[in-house]
Amino acid sequence: MKTAMLQLAQCQSAVFPKHALLAIRSCFFRPPSKLRAQSNRSLQRCYGKMRSRYMRNIFNQSMMTSTIIWAFCLVVHAEEVTPISYDDHVAVIFKKHCLQCHGDSKQEAGLNLASYLSVRKGGSGGEVVVAGRSNSSRLFKAITEEDPEARMPPKNDPLPKEQIALIKSWIDTGLRQSSGSSPVATRKLGFTPTTVAKSGGPPPMPENLPLIESARLIRPFPVIALAASPRAPLIAVSSYERINFVDPSTRNLIGSVPFPEGEPHLLRFNQSGSVLLAAGGRPVQNGVAVLFDVKSGRRLAEIGNETDVVLAADLSADEQQIAIGGSSRVVKVYSTENGSLVRSLVKHTEWITAIAYSPDGKLLATGDRVGNIHLWDAASGGVVLPLSEHKASITSLSWRSDSQVLASSGEDGLIVWWDVAKGWPAFSKADAHPPRRPAGVFGKIANGVLDASFGPGGELVTCGRDRTVRLWASDGNLLKSFGPDSSKANDSQISGVRILPLQAVLTFDGSLVVSGDSAGQLNSWPIEALQK
Amino acid sequence: MNVDSKISKPGPIRIMSINRLTIGTFALFVSLFLPLTVRSSEPSFRRDVMPIFFRAGCNAGTCHGSARGKDGFMLSLFGYDPKGDYERVVNEMIGRRVNVAVPEQSLLLLKATGAVPHTGGKLFSKESDYYKTVLQWIEAGAPDDIGQIPNTVEVVLSRNGLVFEKAESSEALTVTAVASDGSTRDVTMLARFFSNNDSVARIDADGRVTAVGPGDTNVFARFSRFTVGAEVIVLPPEARFQWPDPVAVNFIDELVFDRLKKLRVVPSDLCDDETFLRRVTLDLIARPPTLHEYREFMADARSDKRAIKIDQLLENEAFADFWTALWAEQLRVIGGNYAPVATDVKAADAFYQWIRTQMRSRRPLNEFIAEMVDASGSNLSNGPVNLYTMLVHKPQFEPKAFAADFSQAFLGVQIQCAECHNHPFDRWTQDDYYGFVSFFTGMKRKPGIEPRERRIFCDTSAPPAKHLVDGRPMPAKTLGSVEPVPAGGDPRKTLALWLTAPENEMFSRNLANRIWAQLLGRGIIEPVDDVRASNPPVNGPLLEALSKRLVDVKFDLQSVVRDICNSRVYQLSARPNESNVRDTRQFSHAHLRRLRADVLLDSIVAVTGVPRRFNGFPDGTRAIEYYPRESGDTDGPHFGDSFFATFGRSSRATVCACETKREPTLSQTLHMAVGDSVRDRLSANGEMKRLLESKAGPDEIIEELFVRALGRQPKSDESAAMRALIGDSLKDPAVYEDILWSLLNSTEFAFNH
Repeated sequence: MKTAMLQLAQCQSAVFPKHALLAIRSCFFRPPSKLRAQSNRSLQRCYGKMRSRYMRNIFNQSMMTSTIIWAFCLVVHAEEVTPISYDDHVAVIFKKHCLQCHGDSKQEAGLNLASYLSVRKGGSGGEVVVAGRSNSSRLFKAITEEDPEARMPPKNDPLPKEQIALIKSWIDTGLRQSSGSSPVATRKLGFTPTTVAKSGGPPPMPENLPLIESARLIRPFPVIALAASPRAPLIAVSSYERINFVDPSTRNLIGSVPFPEGEPHLLRFNQSGSVLLAAGGRPVQNGVAVLFDVKSGRRLAEIGNETDVVLAADLSADEQQIAIGGSSRVVKVYSTENGSLVRSLVKHTEWITAIAYSPDGKLLATGDRVGNIHLWDAASGGVVLPLSEHKASITSLSWRSDSQVLASSGEDGLIVWWDVAKGWPAFSKADAHPPRRPAGVFGKIANGVLDASFGPGGELVTCGRDRTVRLWASDGNLLKSFGPDSSKANDSQISGVRILPLQAVLTFDGSLVVSGDSAGQLNSWPIEALQK
Repeated sequence: MNVDSKISKPGPIRIMSINRLTIGTFALFVSLFLPLTVRSSEPSFRRDVMPIFFRAGCNAGTCHGSARGKDGFMLSLFGYDPKGDYERVVNEMIGRRVNVAVPEQSLLLLKATGAVPHTGGKLFSKESDYYKTVLQWIEAGAPDDIGQIPNTVEVVLSRNGLVFEKAESSEALTVTAVASDGSTRDVTMLARFFSNNDSVARIDADGRVTAVGPGDTNVFARFSRFTVGAEVIVLPPEARFQWPDPVAVNFIDELVFDRLKKLRVVPSDLCDDETFLRRVTLDLIARPPTLHEYREFMADARSDKRAIKIDQLLENEAFADFWTALWAEQLRVIGGNYAPVATDVKAADAFYQWIRTQMRSRRPLNEFIAEMVDASGSNLSNGPVNLYTMLVHKPQFEPKAFAADFSQAFLGVQIQCAECHNHPFDRWTQDDYYGFVSFFTGMKRKPGIEPRERRIFCDTSAPPAKHLVDGRPMPAKTLGSVEPVPAGGDPRKTLALWLTAPENEMFSRNLANRIWAQLLGRGIIEPVDDVRASNPPVNGPLLEALSKRLVDVKFDLQSVVRDICNSRVYQLSARPNESNVRDTRQFSHAHLRRLRADVLLDSIVAVTGVPRRFNGFPDGTRAIEYYPRESGDTDGPHFGDSFFATFGRSSRATVCACETKREPTLSQTLHMAVGDSVRDRLSANGEMKRLLESKAGPDEIIEELFVRALGRQPKSDESAAMRALIGDSLKDPAVYEDILWSLLNSTEFAFNH
């Protein structure tokens, strides 16, 4: 059923707008019996309202579209017996607690909560309620704030729990005006994979790389960086003072390039797959970012001359710039043309741990060790938005190929799919990699998400301190969890090293999940098996 | 789910180089280059590596052991959280701090040896054993310890005491750690050392003690969570020392003189009768002797008149009242009108009256305390239950704050460090702390009949406190014990029994030390409420004997006070001799002590005969009987009367003994010189007026003023000066007021000597 739905969604995606597509999906998840159970009259009423609202204001498109909305409305109606609305439930709460300062006579912060329309309009700082997202609604944040100084109503006890719950579900069910009105459409983020340019000829693969002498290692170096070519069956794996190219399906070593600067902390292919960015160095000694030609292994450029290892870096879409960051707390943007420093982005207060340019080249996302993420204009370096949701170190930032969604993972166990245009979490997953609690152990157990990266189909692969690798659908639902291999439960350590998956990627065709661990091993799992 | 087993299983990468030679697999690679070493020979993180963090100072409070770490790297302070430390060192930033592939490139080693910039500088060299141990551990894969690692249960110093004849001589100490499996090892090179007084003896980083100058002190070694000490005595030259062999009245004298003889310090002479009378009267009933008492005592020709005097004073109700005041101060009795419930003035009165009743009826101190510890009921009608409303002034009962103050008041032990980490200089661990807090986690208050009333009870269903590090519940456990108390019922009953039992030396020693400090001006352990391994008694046998004596007399306060006051040590002169002039802590001469604020005020009142009124108290209330009554909040510092604020009476803001201040200030001097406490009393309708109206001549008046104020006869030069001042104006009140003013402003008046 799920597969059928996905196929349907895929075949129709060219015809329908994205929001409509999701409406279809939600239809399909409803048991048909419920559809039938709807009385004809309520159907008519619902349809009428929806049509007047949406057809006039928003879409006014084909008849087909309105039929879909009609179905969507029907579904929502089916699950709510007495919908929570402004008129019936929320207005009375506002009247009692808020209108003194946010009413018709006085509008603190330009906010008037006395009428539905003025609530929707918001205050001088913009919207205060976002349909379907209480956690992104400033009004909800204000009444649930833990700090009594910042909480509304001011200098008072918080609102009763039931009232807060009522407001929350009013927002989450779509900000109805009255019991008869329909929910406000929530913003959805559909996804169409952008086709990878095929113009670059055959996918670049390393050819005839020379043998290099392996460094004196007493055991494999942890896989602290991993990248999959966007066009070829090729992954790049970090090792000590070298980068290995590996065929993901056979896991055969194709070749290596030396990285005498130390440990590559970050590997990333450019969009055509012809250039590999490697950044790293030696802790508290040196740091650098290097561009390699994938085919020949030749060094194209060496950027930056840092005093500590480069922890995060990315190459811009137009390949004109490289942004690097590390313990200096400054994001430095270098020109790839002449290696000069273009600008320094100073805003982070802690080590920079993740950097990613959007595939459309417009934005630059940077994350730090206390959990702050900043969005910058890639061209000008201007501040666009702060994204604050994480409470501990950001471990990775990854853009979906349509540049609409940025995924972030953190040591706080959180994965966030950011709606970048609005700066809100589209979805978020707390405790995404929950470790098993051993008997007799109390308190907090490290549950950090160590890496997250998007695959070509908009699905996200992550790995975490629970030792699993997880695959998430484009709507934030967990598709599959891989490892640790239960048959090797006792083998959690290899010669003293505890095995943790540190990096995870999807291959160019989305067919394989590859992860690298702290014992320097690669694991892979085919995705096709999921669809059966 | 059909996962292709061949591909999906974790496995080796086949290396396929340019010449298509399959060299081997990573697994093979590993097995070739690193034959798996035998685990037992590998360094253990907890046993071997963490002590190096401690020794090198990595996990000290000023470095990575600070609460937020340093430069982004945090270790638990002195290693209280081994599991967390392992995670932070090895797994927080994989490949950085510890590099298991190229161990010598681990940042841990590069930083510690100063090979890369390090805020903490170079801590050890590449040639040191420390380096080798850490390197070996990383080479072994930086493994976490599997199973239970024998932990240190005892640390032993090679010597208990050292005596040096002359400066610059030295001796090395060794430190041995005993593990829970019975094994021992030399940890001298892993311990840290410090001296309590560098001007007596220094100790270097490797445990070598060097004598500096005459005196006694203690040196300490710290390892794991233990602090062990050795006494160091550096003797003055023998040539000029001659022991006078003073008569020992009782065990106190024997033990103090033993110690002085050992230190080659000559005690001062016995004080004269005048000094004794003033000292003992001020100490026991908190005012100077009256003219009548003075004359009676001086005229007494009996040889045991001092002992008789002591007995008389002990019988005086003022003795019980003074100790009531001391307890009320320690237990932080404050009452408030319109105060937050539970600390209302009515509750404070009930508590104060109850304490006074116990003191006047000579209730044994252990019973007195035990009754408070397991008290329940109304704060207005059951006085002792106010231990739970007054010791910590909060609208809500706070178990953690209460447990800390409780142990400080009744055991002299400060356990609050262990809230966040094991006590750095004592034996108390977080386990001890949270176990102790759990005695009070069930304490609740519920409204009573009238608005000011709260009923204090123990909710036996309340969960115990949770351990800070791992959140595990910590059932109620007495300090220092291993097993928790039996579950079920009110745990405070067990606590009260344990606390006040004769076997609990912590308790009896604390009481004995506080009584001693009250009478001698300095505790055998000083400060009296900071008993810890690194603050040992200056005369261990003396504290032991006093504590034992207190137990033998069934915790009778009067008996122990009588012993102390009858000892020669108590009656020594404050005038030092050549030998003991530098001694400040071995009781070789009496300490000069400034009068407490309340005793000073009572003394002014007694000398001038003009009473002092206190708001909210009836006329005739003595300063020692006053406790702060405030309107509103009883949380903050409260002195009540402004005189007490100026002269440093305890504000009862905290439980600390240091709240009672004896330091002089400029405002005190000004207040005595021109303030209303003295000035208004000189001319008022008091003793002075009576004196002038009597038939007495100027010499008699001068004598009486001296006796009243200073408890002694004027010396001849003093008399002459006063007589000159008076001249012909024999009955001019202004002149006599000036004389009394100068007596009250003399340092002699402000001190007990």
